[in-house]
Amino acid sequence: MDRKIGVYICECGPNISEKIDIDKVIEAVSSLKDVVIVEKYKLLCSEDGKNFLKEQIKKHNITHLVVAACSPREHQQTFMNVCENAGINPYLFQLVNIREQCAWITEDKEEATKKAIKLTKAAIKRIYYHTPLEKKQIDSNPDVLVIGGGIAGIEASLQLAKPDRKVYLVEKTSSLGGLVKNFEKTYPDMIPSAPFIQQKIEKVHKNPNITIFTDSEVTGILGFFGNFEVKVNQLAAENKTTDFDVGAVILATGSTLFDPRKSPQYNYGTVDNVITALDFEQMNLTGKIVLKNGKPPKSAAIIHCVGRDKKGYCSEICCMYSLKFIRYLKEKIPGILVTNFYSDLCIPGKSHQKFYEQTLGKNVEFKRAENIEIHKKGEQLDIKYRDENGNTNKSLVDMVILSPALEVPSDSSTLGEFLGISQDDGNFFIEEHEKLSPVSTSTEGVYLAGCTQGPKSIPDTITQAEAVTGKILSSLIPGKKIEPEVKVSYISESFCIGCKTCLDVCSYGCITFNEVKKISVVNEVICRGCGNCVAACPSGAATLKHFTFRQLYQELSEAVQ
Amino acid sequence: MNTSINKQEQNGAIIAVKTNVRDTINDFFKKTMEKGIFDAILIPMQVPAGDSFVYVLLKDSSLLKDASPLSPIMSVQGAKAVSSITRLGKGHMKIAAFLRPCETRATIELTKLEQTNLDNITLISMDCPGVMPISDYIEDPTKAMKLFENAIKNEDDTIMRPVCQICDKSSMVAGDLHIGLLGAKKDTFFIIPSSEKGKQVLSDLDITVKDNIDSWTSKTQAKAEEKQKKRKKAHKELRLKTGALDNFLDTFAQCINCHNCMRVCPVCYCRVCYFDSDKVKHPSEDYLQKAESKGSIRFLPDTSLFQMGRMTHMSLSCVSCGSCEDACPMSIPVAQVFSMIADETQELFNYNAGRSLEDPLPLKAYKEDELREMEDDHD
Repeated sequence: MDRKIGVYICECGPNISEKIDIDKVIEAVSSLKDVVIVEKYKLLCSEDGKNFLKEQIKKHNITHLVVAACSPREHQQTFMNVCENAGINPYLFQLVNIREQCAWITEDKEEATKKAIKLTKAAIKRIYYHTPLEKKQIDSNPDVLVIGGGIAGIEASLQLAKPDRKVYLVEKTSSLGGLVKNFEKTYPDMIPSAPFIQQKIEKVHKNPNITIFTDSEVTGILGFFGNFEVKVNQLAAENKTTDFDVGAVILATGSTLFDPRKSPQYNYGTVDNVITALDFEQMNLTGKIVLKNGKPPKSAAIIHCVGRDKKGYCSEICCMYSLKFIRYLKEKIPGILVTNFYSDLCIPGKSHQKFYEQTLGKNVEFKRAENIEIHKKGEQLDIKYRDENGNTNKSLVDMVILSPALEVPSDSSTLGEFLGISQDDGNFFIEEHEKLSPVSTSTEGVYLAGCTQGPKSIPDTITQAEAVTGKILSSLIPGKKIEPEVKVSYISESFCIGCKTCLDVCSYGCITFNEVKKISVVNEVICRGCGNCVAACPSGAATLKHFTFRQLYQELSEAVQ
Repeated sequence: MNTSINKQEQNGAIIAVKTNVRDTINDFFKKTMEKGIFDAILIPMQVPAGDSFVYVLLKDSSLLKDASPLSPIMSVQGAKAVSSITRLGKGHMKIAAFLRPCETRATIELTKLEQTNLDNITLISMDCPGVMPISDYIEDPTKAMKLFENAIKNEDDTIMRPVCQICDKSSMVAGDLHIGLLGAKKDTFFIIPSSEKGKQVLSDLDITVKDNIDSWTSKTQAKAEEKQKKRKKAHKELRLKTGALDNFLDTFAQCINCHNCMRVCPVCYCRVCYFDSDKVKHPSEDYLQKAESKGSIRFLPDTSLFQMGRMTHMSLSCVSCGSCEDACPMSIPVAQVFSMIADETQELFNYNAGRSLEDPLPLKAYKEDELREMEDDHD
């Protein structure tokens, strides 16, 4: 094929033209082999600029296009689109970054010009060895994996499961419902929660488009948005492994309570009648609120912020459910004295303040306290604390309810590893952006709902589940085609010596070993083109398309001339 | 330095030498074949013309009388032989491979790289006195053989190859069984099991492993320490001569690009060497352009690039066996330079090529904090 290379240099307004002697660059590259035209233009990314490029490509029958302009992160795709519109393969194109890498990094025009010439020459050398790469389209899978059968997972599953979209709901315990199924009532409306959660669980069970795996765990997820391969291990079914494909993954693994044993001053687990919020909810739900001796308590203390000092964040919901506990106690045990030991009260929202005010009243005390210690004293519990004025005080009660911080279960980190999602200091999964993308993650097609992302109330959890649903419904449309990465790795059958080094370094698990031929094979649909295998392959058998040895060698050897 | 086996297993068996060490070892193998422990033995043997030694896979036990476990040269690296036999998987035959410690270690490296399958192979090594440079030997094989035998008797390594003279792992036990000559009483040697496989062989032969081997341990340890000092000193001197880029280029300036060093290297296992591939063949205008920018360029091109490339590719698995230097027709001290580089790169990763099958190859064992080390270096 006759190569006709067109080189276009963008002035980028004053950005490049004032810092680089563009005419010198033109002069330096004009006589290079196969270069048919070198031109400058004031702003190539503008509509006029794109039209200009397109006309030039046609006018000069350009087969290979080099543009010297800005960072590839900025306009690589813009110019690749121009190539496609003008009828040349977008991979017969190379962008030279003479703005960020030359114009913007020095005041010395001569040096900047020199480097711009080197980089442009290097790009021309590289493009000699470019080959057209064809985009492929594959069917996307509209199905969704939901990990976690709590309220977030249930809500998302119900919203998503339709005849054209299957949902796989994987729950680690033996039943759906998560933490919510332990609650008799929910704040602030104090409506019984059983009907609402049971109704939802029933709907999930009845929905033919939801496959439920209880007593199960996800043991592997490979792939990318629209095309994930999932492995689920069913512990109850003698570790039976089930494989299926989905297009998106929702992490709704929820939270658990901070273990108060890690703060020994509360004597949880060593002294009777010191219980956690969850112990109390279960006690309230399944029977009567009683002490170890079977008698109802005459007085109770609720300790807020247990573990907050260790975790370093406010768990958002503890103040509100502690208020709810006052309601439970006063309703079930008339005349009981309830004292709240708090350091800060967190009761935001349109209806919470009202709930708080209505909870106050006779036999309800709020004490701002720190350095709280709990010790056994006879049949009772002695609470030692420092009050707002710095004085040490004591208070005797029959029962202590601890409101511990919410935290992410420790077994969540393996999921994070499969999915490539980082976890913060509290082990909560990190969203793509706290404000702008609160339910997306850095891995496309993997979303967060509920307490797995941070402590959350039931309404906030449902809001997130619905937000995730919206994300998936609008982007993972049944029948839509997806384009896998084109710049993928391939392994030469005749060079591969079968040492399996690439299998260990592949970040996406896309390399398998052919035991018959004793060679490694890349799954091009899963490969994301990270290049790890290419760097690690000792025998030069692995190559990354568009970053071939020859392309890099030519570019580098010109750049370091 | 792992010159001895585990503390709990510091026992061996003392074997009485009948006529000479060679015959006793051959006899040992003969018994293993007669008892059906091994179906074949991979062992060095003199070629019929009497002027070289090669590895043979011996199926007929009567031929064992001519085997040469203590050959004066290493014309073929034993790891390559083991790899040739098992590259495509284990066979049905149970094979004993009699290798020098460096050959054993190369075999272990190749096993980690899936180039050998040790399932049916038992690795047996021996205290290595070193070998002579092939070029010295072939000048007069008969005379060389006498020199070699005398050198062993007098524990004198001056006629051995330079890398053998600075080898601190000549008694390193990395395989299944090890024959210890050092520290043994007159007309005896030790046989030391170092794996379950090795123990089984001895038990099948009704050899009890209860003799004290302290004399072997202390003697080999002292030798290793002495050699290590010598090695450090030699490398220090070599670094002065070859270290900087100009010195490096000078050292390899004689290279004729024959790639013999790569072909004989046990851990250069690529199917096609990158430097033999089309990837390093460039259009003529590239050469002209290079000549233009530098005034001239030498041909054949890329000789020093080849050496540096090989260094980056295999120095983490280099066992300092010296094959490359034996194969160099220009007498470039390839093995000495490579042993120096290998020691340094392996130390970086706290890795010791061939020490154990359990140590993961540094290339495969990626640790995130390695990156942090790099960051710190750049701060």
